[in-house]
Amino acid sequence: MNEAIAISNLTKSYGTHIVLNGLDFCVQQGEIFALLGINGAGKTTSLECIEGLRKYDSGSISINGIMGIQLQSASLPGHMKALEAVRLFAKWNKASLDKEMLDALGIYEFGKKPYYQLSTGQKRRLHLVLALTRNPDILFLDEPTAGLDVEGRLSLHEQIRQLKAIGKTIILASHDMTEVENLCDRIAILSGGKIAFIGTVEQLGKTIGKHYNITIQTENGTEKYESEDIGDSLLTLLMQYKEKGKTIVDIQIDRGSLEQHFIKIAKGA
Amino acid sequence: MGAFLYGVSLQWKLDIRSKTLLITCYIVPLLFFAIMGGIFTSVMPEAKYTLIQSMTVFGVTMGALIGLPPSLVEIYSSDMKKIYQANGVPLYLGLALTNISAYIHLFLMSIILYIAAPLVFHAKTPENPAKYFISLAVFIAVSLSLASIIGLAVKDQAKTSMFSIIVFLPSIMLSGIMFPMELLPKAFETIGKLFPATWGYKLMTKSVFPFESLFPLLLIFVLAAVICIILLRRMDN
Repeated sequence: MNEAIAISNLTKSYGTHIVLNGLDFCVQQGEIFALLGINGAGKTTSLECIEGLRKYDSGSISINGIMGIQLQSASLPGHMKALEAVRLFAKWNKASLDKEMLDALGIYEFGKKPYYQLSTGQKRRLHLVLALTRNPDILFLDEPTAGLDVEGRLSLHEQIRQLKAIGKTIILASHDMTEVENLCDRIAILSGGKIAFIGTVEQLGKTIGKHYNITIQTENGTEKYESEDIGDSLLTLLMQYKEKGKTIVDIQIDRGSLEQHFIKIAKGA
Repeated sequence: MGAFLYGVSLQWKLDIRSKTLLITCYIVPLLFFAIMGGIFTSVMPEAKYTLIQSMTVFGVTMGALIGLPPSLVEIYSSDMKKIYQANGVPLYLGLALTNISAYIHLFLMSIILYIAAPLVFHAKTPENPAKYFISLAVFIAVSLSLASIIGLAVKDQAKTSMFSIIVFLPSIMLSGIMFPMELLPKAFETIGKLFPATWGYKLMTKSVFPFESLFPLLLIFVLAAVICIILLRRMDN
């Protein structure tokens, strides 16, 4: 697999505040890659440097393909209709409109509405279409589902999967851990201006170690526990419940969520 | 070229839909013409010889200085600029499209005045229409270039209105369309010469091309264009 993006020793400071401190990572062609980090970790700065919207101090960025960028905060003239915006950007990028793709993203439903009348979800979909008008090889999505309802979120996830299926490389910045877990092939966690972790979701779990959530439901209610050693913990809990005379109705055990792992790495690194 | 022309036609439609430019380029100048045209020609019957030019100078100055900057601030001081940069649309496009669209609107408004003034107030049409319209074309371009500096340099709408008024009022009051320039105190006369309205009015009222009026306009245009390029480059960086 070839590299779509290669970042080497990237640094960026705002005055004396160092935001990126020797950032190194690669994104392979055709993968969905998530860049994660708590607020102020340097996610947006990294993305904007890669996208060419912000100058960096040193290091190198190598991009192998055309970029399409869906910004987190973007706007258009209030009276511009959705389809007019799509036509303008497509004409400017000398791209023909892919009517199937427009239909899949539901642009025709609100194509004649002026921008100021569009809902948050419709605006997000429009910005995604605008990013696609250059027929990019690499697509940057910054918080693509922020502010969307469940239906809109699922629909956009499906569209992102379809874009991957046709060979697009997708770089995603998101706070939605479920989204990252469901969509991404690999993730990178930024902390202190550096990569604290890079790999698959499964690798992240292994890196952190075993972590279990135990939910025990009794006739009186539900109680939750966390454990690093499921065997010992479960046995102890069962004995405690028996001693207290509580009747267990149901037990659920799961390996901690990506969010729990993420917070550990992001704060601990 | 197709993309650029589509952009111009789209901007033209947006300007009509947004109503701001419609008000500043048509409604206010034509209302001013309807009221002041009647007053000017009643109080000073000789005003009919320069009524078309004076009303046109007012309309163009108003449309350019009050109408254009808010559109530019909307593009360049918001996330709109980012979406252009991010998706391969050059930054200058917004400036070019809004200027061309405003240019067409102001030219149309000037034609309406040119036709209406003789019919309504028996105003005299210029002796040399070709020279008049060439002068008008130059004057609109220079007025828009000055307005573009305000639109690119000022970052919020409230301040834009303030700066636009600061330039607009002396432009009109000291241009000679309200009072003959010769009657103004020397200092005001000198200040008036800093604005395109003064030179535009002189250029349009003369039957030949006076170089002394054309040169200051061209100078203002070149200076304004250079400042706009610098401001755009600074934004791009």
